[in-house]
Amino acid sequence: MIKMHDVWMVYKKGVEALRGINVEIEPGEFVYVVGPSGAGKSTFIKLMYREEKPTSGVILINGVNVNRMRDWKIPYLRRNIGVVFQDYKLLPHLTAYQNVAFAMESIEAPRRHIRRRVHEVLDLVGLYDRMHALPSQLSGGEQQRVSIARAMVNNPSLLICDEPTGNLDPENSWDIMYLLDEINSRGTTIVMATHDKEIVNTMRKRVIAIEQGVIVRDEEQGEYIYED
Amino acid sequence: MKIDTMIRHVKEAFRSLSRNRMMTLSAISAVAVTLFIFGIFIAVAMNIQFLAKELDKQMALRASISPTATNDDIERLQKEIGKDSEVKSVSFVSKEEGLRRMKEQWGDDSDDFFRGLEGEDNPLPHMLVIVPQNPQEIKALAEKIENNNKNYIDQVDFGGGVTDDLLSFSSWIRNIVLVLGIGLAILSAFLISNTIKLTIFARRREIEIMRLVGASNWFIRWPFFIEGAVIGILGAIVPVGLVLLIYYSLLNALGVESSYSFFQLLPMWPLSLYIAGITIALGVIIGVWGSLISVRRFLRV
Repeated sequence: MIKMHDVWMVYKKGVEALRGINVEIEPGEFVYVVGPSGAGKSTFIKLMYREEKPTSGVILINGVNVNRMRDWKIPYLRRNIGVVFQDYKLLPHLTAYQNVAFAMESIEAPRRHIRRRVHEVLDLVGLYDRMHALPSQLSGGEQQRVSIARAMVNNPSLLICDEPTGNLDPENSWDIMYLLDEINSRGTTIVMATHDKEIVNTMRKRVIAIEQGVIVRDEEQGEYIYED
Repeated sequence: MKIDTMIRHVKEAFRSLSRNRMMTLSAISAVAVTLFIFGIFIAVAMNIQFLAKELDKQMALRASISPTATNDDIERLQKEIGKDSEVKSVSFVSKEEGLRRMKEQWGDDSDDFFRGLEGEDNPLPHMLVIVPQNPQEIKALAEKIENNNKNYIDQVDFGGGVTDDLLSFSSWIRNIVLVLGIGLAILSAFLISNTIKLTIFARRREIEIMRLVGASNWFIRWPFFIEGAVIGILGAIVPVGLVLLIYYSLLNALGVESSYSFFQLLPMWPLSLYIAGITIALGVIIGVWGSLISVRRFLRV
């Protein structure tokens, strides 16, 4: 699914965000990415959907070298990757349904498929009954579920989550985690950056820890050991 | 592209145009001023071109034949000149014919004046009217014919310089208008790019999400292109109407369409079509150019 070989990321001011990352993630895995703020987690995640381009090294996504990818092909790479953020990034003037449909319209999906598929994913995230609500009428947890529905609507094989529970209380956080676990059990690979110690230490998964631009631990059934 | 998608792009474009109404309006006005100047320029340039061509068509050498030449001499001369590859046609105008034409040109009031000049008193020479293949070479041809046939030809006259003056005048005007027009075009493209910039800013969240879910670059760009083109087209309507109206009143005021005057102007049709077509096309080009500037800079797509 994802293979990185000796990936370096050096920003213009000479900041070395990543220093020789080697990692392999298999299809169907659920991986936490942990580490202190500014350790390179965000950069690591952004490389996977080609939001950032590494200074050197090789990144293979589904066997394709994304460093060498022509710019115009990037959209097609991203159609196979869903992304979820801490701040949901919903469009405030659109309903839950419209927000999810927007992702399908953007890739010019046939209109007759859109309605059915949007209903399907809204049902998956448990918001079928709230589909005509605006984001402002939804709780934080519900908004995050809409954004997960949007990320999943085009059937990506990889779901990338950047601090998906960062803005949520514990109860809502767990709802989101059960949902992600459910999505993962249906075959979608999940890579999730997080600061949530309780979640990582309770719902045990593979943990990749990054400190100062280097992977310092990579364990199956790993642990969160930072105090923050 | 699918029709559904295109409809969506057009809707998007109009929605954001009406969202930034003031900016849209100022961009349209800038385009309108630019295109007004271009429209006038097109009308003037096309008329000058037309006039030059008309003059060229009428341009002919008039070789006055010396009174000593016999009819045989004249016939031989006419044949010889006609053989020259630079000559399109040669026709003989007798002095009686010449007088009649002159009378015609001067009108009915001149009967008294011409009465004394008829018959034996006719002061005009016989003439050969020679039409050159290439009007630009008329001067050289005149010299050649005069030099080769000194025995029979007293003098060769040609229209002299009028066309040259007209053409140099028109290229002079053209340069001024072009410099002015290009400056204004850049200014309007800049204003359009500012308008588009605002709409990009208003839609940055949409654009971010479109990029994340894998919308193709053109899917993202299209609405902005349409916006630019719409500004260009809307900006063209008023100047096209205004230029055509001014031209129409000018035609009416001069009454040139009906008279035989030297000052001939192109008729409304098909000139209106050219002016409208070229002006609207220019508007679209300026509009799309303006949106291209900001889309490229702000979308990174």
